Amino acid sequence: MGNFGRDASRRHVLGGLAGMAAFGTASGGRAAPSGQPVRVGGTLSLTGPLAQTAGIHKIAAEISVEEINARDGFLGRPVEWILLDDQSKPEVCRSLYEKLITVDKVDLIMGPYATSPILAAMGVAQRYGKLFIQNSMGIPRLANYELQIPATPFGSEPNKSYPKVVFDAVAGTKNPPKTVAILTSKFPSAQFMAEGTRDVAKERGLNVLMYLEYEFGARDFGAIAARVKDANPDFLWVGSLGLESNMLLEALKKLDYVPKHHFHLYPAPGPLAMSPDGKNALASTFLEPDEPFLSRPGVKRLADLYKDRATRMNLPYKELDAQAAGMFSQWQILEQGVNGSKSLDDRTIATWLKKNGATTIYNKMRFDGPFNHGDPAQLVKQNQGNNWKVVWPKEFAAPGVSLVSP
Amino acid sequence: MPSAVVIGQALVSGLLAGGLYGLLALGLSLSWGLLRLVNLGYFAITFLGAYLVYQLHESYGIAPWWAAMLVVPLFFCLGVAQHWVFLRFRVSELASLLVTFGLSVIVESGIQLVWTADYRRLETHYASASFKIGPLYVPVLDLAACLAAAALAWATWAWLRWTYVGKALRASAEDPDIAAAYGVDHKRLSYLLSGICAGYAGVAGAFIALISTLAPSQIWAWLGVVFAVVIIGRVGNPVGALVAGLLIGASESIAMAFLSPAWAPVVSFSALIVLLLWQPDWL
Amino acid sequence: MRAQTGLAGAVAAAGALGLALLPMAGMPAFYDSFLYLVFFWISLATSWAILSGFAGYFSFGHAAFFGAGMYTTANLAAKHDVPLLATIPLAGLVAAALGVGIGAVVFRLKRLRGELFALLTLAVTFIVATVILNTPIDGGSGVFLSNVPVPKIVASQSGSIYVLGFVLCAATMVIAWWVAHSRLGMGLAAIHDDEDVAETKGVPTFRYKLAALALSAGIAGAVGGVHAVYVGFLTVGDTFGIAVPLYVVLMSVLGGARHWLGPAIGAIAIGTSLYAFTGGDMAMIGRAIVAFVLIVAILVLPDGVVPAVQAWLKRRRGAISTAPVVVAAVPPVPRMAAPDENAPVALTIRDVAKSFGGLQALRGVTLDVRKGEILGLVGPNGSGKTTLINMITGHFPLTSGTIALGDAAIGALPAHRIARLGVARTYQIPRPFAHLSALDNVALSAVFGGAATSIAAARADAGCWLSFAGLGGKAAALPAELNLHERKFLEFARALAAKPKLLLLDEVLSGLNPSEIDRAIELIRGIRAEGTTIVFVEHLMRAVVELSDRVAVLNEGTLLALGAPREIMRDPRVVSVYLGKDHAA
Repeated sequence: MGNFGRDASRRHVLGGLAGMAAFGTASGGRAAPSGQPVRVGGTLSLTGPLAQTAGIHKIAAEISVEEINARDGFLGRPVEWILLDDQSKPEVCRSLYEKLITVDKVDLIMGPYATSPILAAMGVAQRYGKLFIQNSMGIPRLANYELQIPATPFGSEPNKSYPKVVFDAVAGTKNPPKTVAILTSKFPSAQFMAEGTRDVAKERGLNVLMYLEYEFGARDFGAIAARVKDANPDFLWVGSLGLESNMLLEALKKLDYVPKHHFHLYPAPGPLAMSPDGKNALASTFLEPDEPFLSRPGVKRLADLYKDRATRMNLPYKELDAQAAGMFSQWQILEQGVNGSKSLDDRTIATWLKKNGATTIYNKMRFDGPFNHGDPAQLVKQNQGNNWKVVWPKEFAAPGVSLVSP
Repeated sequence: MPSAVVIGQALVSGLLAGGLYGLLALGLSLSWGLLRLVNLGYFAITFLGAYLVYQLHESYGIAPWWAAMLVVPLFFCLGVAQHWVFLRFRVSELASLLVTFGLSVIVESGIQLVWTADYRRLETHYASASFKIGPLYVPVLDLAACLAAAALAWATWAWLRWTYVGKALRASAEDPDIAAAYGVDHKRLSYLLSGICAGYAGVAGAFIALISTLAPSQIWAWLGVVFAVVIIGRVGNPVGALVAGLLIGASESIAMAFLSPAWAPVVSFSALIVLLLWQPDWL
Repeated sequence: MRAQTGLAGAVAAAGALGLALLPMAGMPAFYDSFLYLVFFWISLATSWAILSGFAGYFSFGHAAFFGAGMYTTANLAAKHDVPLLATIPLAGLVAAALGVGIGAVVFRLKRLRGELFALLTLAVTFIVATVILNTPIDGGSGVFLSNVPVPKIVASQSGSIYVLGFVLCAATMVIAWWVAHSRLGMGLAAIHDDEDVAETKGVPTFRYKLAALALSAGIAGAVGGVHAVYVGFLTVGDTFGIAVPLYVVLMSVLGGARHWLGPAIGAIAIGTSLYAFTGGDMAMIGRAIVAFVLIVAILVLPDGVVPAVQAWLKRRRGAISTAPVVVAAVPPVPRMAAPDENAPVALTIRDVAKSFGGLQALRGVTLDVRKGEILGLVGPNGSGKTTLINMITGHFPLTSGTIALGDAAIGALPAHRIARLGVARTYQIPRPFAHLSALDNVALSAVFGGAATSIAAARADAGCWLSFAGLGGKAAALPAELNLHERKFLEFARALAAKPKLLLLDEVLSGLNPSEIDRAIELIRGIRAEGTTIVFVEHLMRAVVELSDRVAVLNEGTLLALGAPREIMRDPRVVSVYLGKDHAA
């Protein structure tokens, strides 16, 4: 974490804006796209309680648009991204998508992030028959709209598939757990995974010592930490969002307790990576800026661009992570769908995508399964030396990296 | 049935968390009770203080307590300036809600502009330090926050009770006309009190920076529970605010030790309602 | 005047019809939604104000009612296939029932006013949210309404929701207007200013507060019902967050919470401002700009928009109309003889005792007051005179004993019922309703204490009583604009407007100059001439002797002496109480 003066940051913000304004001219040596721009509209929660990760999504989207325009645009036309702020409010989100579609008459739309805004926007997309690509719908069955395309490979039933990956990961260590404690935020997508994890744990004959739900936005983890310490499980599974994991681990540390294996579902990557209490923490991911992912075509370039832009925008965590990757994936899918189907018609693009899939930062993706999902590719990462390293499944771990067992 | 150690530990951490509630409630309670101004902006200012403490630590390596020494006088001036606006425009109790809400949004936007909406964390080697009393662990920073809250609450209480300035302030709050007739210059005193309240926000901000992680929208996260604490403790009563904070913190924490933690608010707030209906004389 | 009102009504109706039909004009769906959200905030803010603005019971718990409505609709429609339109009234009912449940407990307790009421509503919100979160109502997974069909009122879904939102909004405004112009609104305004006095003037405060809360909660619930389909996916976090309880307050304060139209104005301003800066690059700065404008607005208009406009109109009108004021002279009244001993008893007081904690204020007082009598009630400070009046009006419950008005026992009745039976009082220190005009202060008594058939009739009556009390020119003035003497006569006027059978006067003469005292004495005689029984507490012996048929002397909570004024003044016990033992020889 560097030193950020106020002045420096303001300059960087302006720099970012200037960079965005200039995207139309950035041509990578090829004939620049020309003609009427194709207008793609979407919202992000730039202000309000969901805004913590807005910067990540915004940077990834800006880079994506610049890259697309540096290639061939959409059908040879430049792409213009119209971004609105949904203020983290689903009702505002809904009305802004209606504005984009019915007033601004954009050609295509792009989904927001987080469950509530996604569902609010998807309802609008459905009524107007728009293609709807989103990357962070953690409960796939809720996205039951035929033109909805998930840009992150959760698979159709992550509550069943992913717990197996996690338990496999820890079962392969020298201290395979026999007992589990499951804590979860009462947040829809976290609770959904926690319930699945409990079922899988029971199937595998693990002893579930405790299953506790806490209120989303809980402030004091002292009592919960005391119960965890008392139970002393071999494996602590936490269905956390944002900072909850940091708070829990800190509360445990204050009781002089370091959990054995511990897994965190959707923690804010930066704070948990930097926290001394986050040592050896496991967490879910889909991609990290490391091998083998950097060997995928274009990923190294995106990771570098992202890091550079995140530094300029003064984001505290500057590495490409799964959220930014999801946004890259959204735009890659849209680009391939438009240029592949040679159409701007929503249904035509969706049909093409379902038939042909797309190759994204997540490799080859299919959209022909239930809820338009393909195969799940949710991975396990571990905090090793204040860096996130993918540790499971083994084929996705960088050479020489393996799960550090307590 | 949780073990005695778990219950004891829950009680300790609940009380200490309650101390932080009390610390946050202090300035709000004073300005509401003695100036009849409901300062929603108190939370925004607190977080601004936290961010400043964070930044001074990150940029110049200034320790949080030294940073607080810089922030508190600065905030005192801010509080006085804000009060000048309130007096100049004769802002009423209800209108103060709206004005300070606006201020909060402006401060929130400013924080987001400078520090982004992403999480910021002041990492220190002593963040999770604790010591042991018998089988129970006492976290150092939480204890410091609680003690600071207790010291400030007690000092403020004594100041209001025993000094001329304090008595004059209380008299003005009760009946400004009569107090004025006795020569109390309410204006000057109210500037002083606003400055002090904002200074308390600076202190609270330093502890927030040390104990929790910062994000602009967190400004609103404390609103409900701290308002409850302020009212239970009786507006304008600093010790009451602290006691109420401890009460809410401890009852929530104990409930979390026994039940599914998600049910905890029902327990503490039902207890609160029963208390209100049954006998609020001492409230 | 009537034609003007008719015209305004016609314009409003035409405007409403036009707005209702707007979605058929084929405008882009965004405007449907945008206007829907404006209607949504108007309804919510106005519903909040029906209790919290009108009656001053500041609630932080509007999200509880709104959320109860949202989850009612969501559960019935999404999980039990109840048609959407049927769920909306149910959502309102559930929320209203929740409100009534809370109110039935809370409103009985005098101590739960002001901040404690706000705290209680906040606590209830936390509890409702937690219960919904932890039970199958939500369970933590959220409720998704994608399978709920929206009735096709117009062609588009957004248009249909617009119509639903508009209908609720229009209904809310009609209800708010009706409440503001009805007895209920008048009573609520009185409760806002001084609840105890309101009760004594005959306002059934408990029922009115309950009705206001039920309306407020019911509307919020129905609005929540529609909003559930608008949003499409409910989570406890989004529903019970601080947005609703905070915004309804801000909107009401900005527009003026006590006026039926104020919250709507504030809702339009703030609801629209949410869309002032939605562009991605302006989001943060835009929010700050909106906030800054909000601050400036409230600094310039500290009481809110509508009161500012009203004040401006009043100043303009005041500058124009300087019509001469006609003050009706009090007709000279012949001295009536005291009613004889066979006259029927108007008020029976038997062994009335009252203690406050350990303090015995009354120790068993027995006293009969005859019909048409003027009874002076005297005694040193702290002897229990005012307490006795407070017992008769029902302000305090009896510790023991009985009180009867004619044949009707009133000792256990609530104050407003006693007022309705024909008991009126004045306060030693005038306690007019600060935000009601002098005319409405008096009209309120006529409405709730007397037999006025309508508010208009009551106002007409009130005008007469104001003139009678010499305040004919001050009808439109607020109490703060009156001096102490005028406020004393206002106290008089509003006691008389109730056309009481029994009038209790608490030191009405103190602070008046000799000529005013003469006038007041004439007034009191005039009142008795109409057949009213009068009990008056007074320190001024000249008036006691001149006015009273009989005098009762209280000392240390007991009845010391009772008899004709001149006899009583000579009674050695009375002299000793007043002047000390030495003079009693």
